[in-house]
Order: sequence, then C-alpha cells, then structure tokens
Amino acid sequence: MSSETQSSRNRWLLLSPALAILTLAAAGPLLIVVVYSFLTPGDYGGVIWQFSTDAWFNVVAERDFFDETIGLSDAHLSIFWRSVRLSLLTTIVAFLVGFPTAYFIATRPENQRNIWMLLIMVPFWTNLLIRTFAVMEIIRNEGVINSVLVGVGLVDQPIQMLFTDFAVTLGMFYVYLPLMVLPIYASMERMDFSLVEAAFDLYATRWRVLRKVIFPIVKPGVVAGSILVFIPSLGAYVTPRVLGGGKNLMMGNLIELQFGQGRNWPLGAALSITLLAIVMVALIFYVRSAGTEETPHG
Amino acid sequence: MIEISGLTKTFGSGDSAFTALKDVTVTIEENEFFTLLGPSGCGKTTLLRSIAGFVDPTTGSLTINGDDILSKAPFDRPVNTVFQSYALFPHMTVSENIGFGLEMQNRPKSEVQSIVQEMLELVQMTALADRMTSQISGGQQQRVALARALAPKPKVLLLDEPLSALDFKLRKEMQIELKRLQHETGITFVFVTHDQEEALTMSDRIAVMNGGRILQIGGPREIYDHPAERFVADFIGDTNFVSADLQSVEGEAAEIVLPSGKAIQARSVTGGATSGKVTIAVRPEHATLTAPGALIDGTLQNIVYFGTDTHYHIETDANSTFVIRRQNQPDAAESQKIGDKVGISFNPGVAQVLRD
Ligand SMILES: Nc1ncnc2c1ncn2[C@@H]1O[C@H](COP(=O)(O)OP(=O)(O)OP(=O)(O)O)[C@@H](O)[C@H]1O
Ligand SMILES: [Mg+2]
Repeated sequence: MSSETQSSRNRWLLLSPALAILTLAAAGPLLIVVVYSFLTPGDYGGVIWQFSTDAWFNVVAERDFFDETIGLSDAHLSIFWRSVRLSLLTTIVAFLVGFPTAYFIATRPENQRNIWMLLIMVPFWTNLLIRTFAVMEIIRNEGVINSVLVGVGLVDQPIQMLFTDFAVTLGMFYVYLPLMVLPIYASMERMDFSLVEAAFDLYATRWRVLRKVIFPIVKPGVVAGSILVFIPSLGAYVTPRVLGGGKNLMMGNLIELQFGQGRNWPLGAALSITLLAIVMVALIFYVRSAGTEETPHG
Repeated sequence: MIEISGLTKTFGSGDSAFTALKDVTVTIEENEFFTLLGPSGCGKTTLLRSIAGFVDPTTGSLTINGDDILSKAPFDRPVNTVFQSYALFPHMTVSENIGFGLEMQNRPKSEVQSIVQEMLELVQMTALADRMTSQISGGQQQRVALARALAPKPKVLLLDEPLSALDFKLRKEMQIELKRLQHETGITFVFVTHDQEEALTMSDRIAVMNGGRILQIGGPREIYDHPAERFVADFIGDTNFVSADLQSVEGEAAEIVLPSGKAIQARSVTGGATSGKVTIAVRPEHATLTAPGALIDGTLQNIVYFGTDTHYHIETDANSTFVIRRQNQPDAAESQKIGDKVGISFNPGVAQVLRD
C-alpha cells in the first residue's frame, strides 16, 4: 500500500529539521576537523591545502631533532595520561561526595529538597572563571588554608597546593560536582523508599541496604553522573590552565596550544580527534561494564 | 506473644503535633490471626510500623515473647512485613526477592535455595521463579511479597492491607490462601484492613480502632453481635440505634425500658453506665416485623427487595428510622404494604447497650 511509503516519507520530513541541525552542528564541524588533520600547517597558522599525515604522526611520536630517529612523544603521552588520570580521579571523588549528598537531599522532607538542590546548583550558574579563581584564592600559598595553617603554627612554610595535580583535580571536582549530584538525585528521588524499609525489615544492615538495594537501583543515575563529569574533565581547559599553572597541562590546553602559539592547526585537529576517540572508547568500555547487570528504569 | 502496653505516638511537636496512637494496650497471642480494623487515618499503619520498628513510639512498651524490642533496629526484630505497596526489589528476580531475607541472615547457599524452592511452591510461583518482579501481575507480586516475608520464618508477620490492590475474585482467593498459610506455618499474623467483611471472615480476633485508640477487641462474633460503642456498631455491618432507659444492670443482663414503655432485657456493656439514658443497638436481621402493639411501633416507609433478603424501613413512633432485614422464602407473597402500621420485636438479650 502507498500509505506505508507515505507515512515513512512523512517521518523523514518530520525528522529533517533535527537531521539538518545534527549535520550542521555536529557532523559538519567534525568533518572539517578531520580534513584539517590531514593538511599541512601554514606558517602563520591556518592550513595549506596539501595532504600530509605529519600531524597524526606527531600525535604520539616525534622525530629526534638531531639524528632523525623516531621515538614516542613523551610530552604528549604524559599529557594524555595525566588527562585520563585526573579525570578518573575527579569522577571518583565526585561520586564519593556526590552520592551521599544526593542521598541526603533525597531523604529531606519534600518541601526542603528544592532548597538544597538550589544550593548545589548556584555555583554551577556562576561563571567558570570566577569559580576557578575562588578555588585558587583558597589554596594558593597566601590563601585561606595556608594563612590559617601558618597562623595557627601547624606548619612553618605554606603547603604548595596551587599549580599541582591536586589543585587541578580539586578545581574540576568543585566545578563538575553538580553534574554528579543531579542525575543521582533524580534517580534517587524516583526510588520507592519503602524498598529501603523492606530491606531493613529483611535483616539487611545499613551498609547492605546501601549496597544491595539503593546502589543497584540508582545505578543509571551514577552512570549518567560519571559520564557527565568524566567527559568535560577530560577536555577541561580553563581549570588546568588556571590551577595547574603552565606545567600541568591537560589535553584541552595542548590542543589550544597548537591553534595558538604552536601555529600547527593540523596537529591541533588530530589531537582533538584523539581526545574524541579516548572519550568514545572510555564510554563504550564504561557503559558495557556498567550495563552487564540488569538495570531497572532503563 | 506480642504485648503492647500504653503505646502512644505523637508526630511533630508544638502546634503541628499530631497524636496518631493514644494509649494502645493489647496482647496478641501466639499463632493468632489478629486484625486491626478501622477507617482511614485511624493509626493502623502507625501501630504496625511501631511493631516493625519504622516508627519510634513516644511512650509505652512493646515486647515479643518477653523481649523488649523497642530498643532494637528493624533488622534485629523477629518480625517481617508484607507492605501495602509490596515493595518488591525491582532489580531482582522472583527467587532473589524471596531469598533476600535469608541471604541477609547469612544462611548457607544450599539452605537458601531449598527454602526459596519451598516458598515458591507454597505460593505457587515456581513457574515464574526467574522473572523480574516488574514482569508479573499484581496478584503474583502479592504472593511474592508474602513468600519473601515468610521465608525467614519470622515469629510474627505484619500485613498492611495486603489485599487492597486486588480485584474481587483474586481477593477472595488470597483470603483463603492467607488463612491456609497462617494455619500451615503457625506464624502469628497481624493483619491490617479497613474492610469489615475481610476482618470478620479471616480473623481470630479483631481490634477496632478509631482516632488512634483501640475501641474494642474481640472475636468476629463478639464484635458483630455485641459492639461496645456506637462507632463499632456503626462501622461493622448495619445497625439500628434506639434510645432507651437503663433500669438496672446485673452481670451481662441489663433491664431497659423502650420509649413505648415496654421493658425488655438487653445485654450490658463493661464500663458503661448502670442507669439513665442509654443507646441500644439492634442488628436489622435480629428484629422481626409483627403486628402493632410490639416493643416498638411505627409506619412502614419502604420495602426494598434484595433477592436473598428484603429490607423493611420503618418510621417509628419516636420519629427515628428502623430497618428490619428478613430472609426471603421461595414464592412468598408480600403481606405488608407501604403505609401500614407495623410493630418491631426482638428477643431478650439481642439488644446491646452501648457505652457513653
Ligand atoms: N510521619 C508522619 N508525620 C505526621 N503525621 C503522620 C505521619 N504518619 C502518619 N501520620 C498521621 O497519623 C494518622 C494515622 O496514620 P496511619 O498511616 O497509621 O493511618 P491508617 O490507619 O493506616 O490509615 P489508612 O487506612 O489510610 O492506611 C494519620 O492522620 C496520618 O496523617
Ligand atoms: Mg495504612
């Protein structure tokens, strides 16, 4: 019957605005980046339209300046590794803090929950730079913590916290914490708390109630929260730049460097795609392992 | 044996304070099917949750077999609950749900398995053992909830309106099944319902509650035939209320004089007045329609045919309504008609004097 082809044509017609936006906003730019990564850098930035795989070669390897031998690019690899490591750490810390926070809010009386959520969200609506500088103000050598520590006499010298991996992790944790709390809270609020009572009633201790009932049920929220924290951490730019100083670069900074001072757009493009690939691999790996057990609520 | 004494629960404080349980005292015997019956909001769930450990009573004591359990956490009490909403774990299969309590008690795997198997058979759910609980019907969920609570063989099983979500037919089936289970397991059941028929058919004893208090405790017959208070008489079944003059009380026998001037023996109530104006209750099926000049006279207002029985609505000479229910005989012709002068009579001891 033609009505079937008619309806399928209608479906495409209805989908077309969404498809157009997807093409223009996602696929198009991505394609440009891919194309750029195979071109030759221009002397003052930009690209020369000449095919080259140098950029991809330079992502992980480098040619020795003097004897032309080829070795792994330690600088890049260590930056990749730091990005992954600090992002993982940020995600774990955000979970350890975010889960109890979400639980606390979800167990408040209904009319108080929105106020608590608001308190969690307020920093999120504040400018990223301002929040990052606030963290800096707290942990720098003449900052709040060190002033107190030195003032009280607990330490003679200020503890160097700023411009370390610790500072970067702390900053990212602070900035992305709401992204962890929000989805966990959402699935926890949906959870039927009589399940918790049922578990208590059936001789489960508090810890086992948490592990056997609450956690499995809110797991979709934990998965979502972890993804929401991990991905932007991996690509973070402002936080490592401000709190990590010049030394503790992450992938976002490395990419920015190629488009700016480095004047190597193809390398920047190749690094961007590498970042994307790392995210994809991490996502697939994570969702696979998280999805092996049956999860309710989809 | 559960001994509850002077149990009071006040929620909140100050202006918003609300006392949901007021001085509740009751003893529930071993292996008893004990029912809490009362209207919505009377405190049934609060009392049940106090026993389970989810509500911390303000004052009073609560012991099970002599052990004070008020200081114990829910997971340390020898009671299990069948929740009104079932509260089955959505991330577990039927078997895993039933085995949960046993696993939390750290019983060996093989024992858990064999008890789960036994429970599955008991509630006839063996075929669906590996389904997720979201993929079974309401009645099946109910049975899983029951099996889950029964599996650890608690001393006491608390059931909070477990049948309220079921349709009529399934409900009747489950009532019989529950009775059978209670009989087979020998576990004390504390059962909450606001359905009077369910309470009458299933219980060994019933506690009728209202406004946070227990008004009367007794077997189904006693509660029905001899309600102690107007509320109880009204809440369970249909009742006629007649005012009367109490002359004297001797044990269970009370001499009363009706507005018509006729005297008859009624049943006294403990803790009630011994003379003066009282209200008596007479069940519609305990009274008979007679010629005028009976205990109470009046005018027939309405005749309603119900198939199994017929209801006669009578406007008494004292200006109140009295209903008589008479069982129908095959092919009996109606001898009365609306507007007739009629009499109402009942046997001595049928009328129950009410407290207050
Ligand atoms: N946590 C609470 N805080 C304040 N008031 C409460 C709380 N729990 C119950 N109440 C009040 O206590 C009273 C008794 O509640 P309960 O749940 O015991 O009633 P119920 O007899 O089980 O009623 P239903 O048949 O509707 O389930 C109600 O008026 C209820 O509003
Ligand atoms: Mg209730």
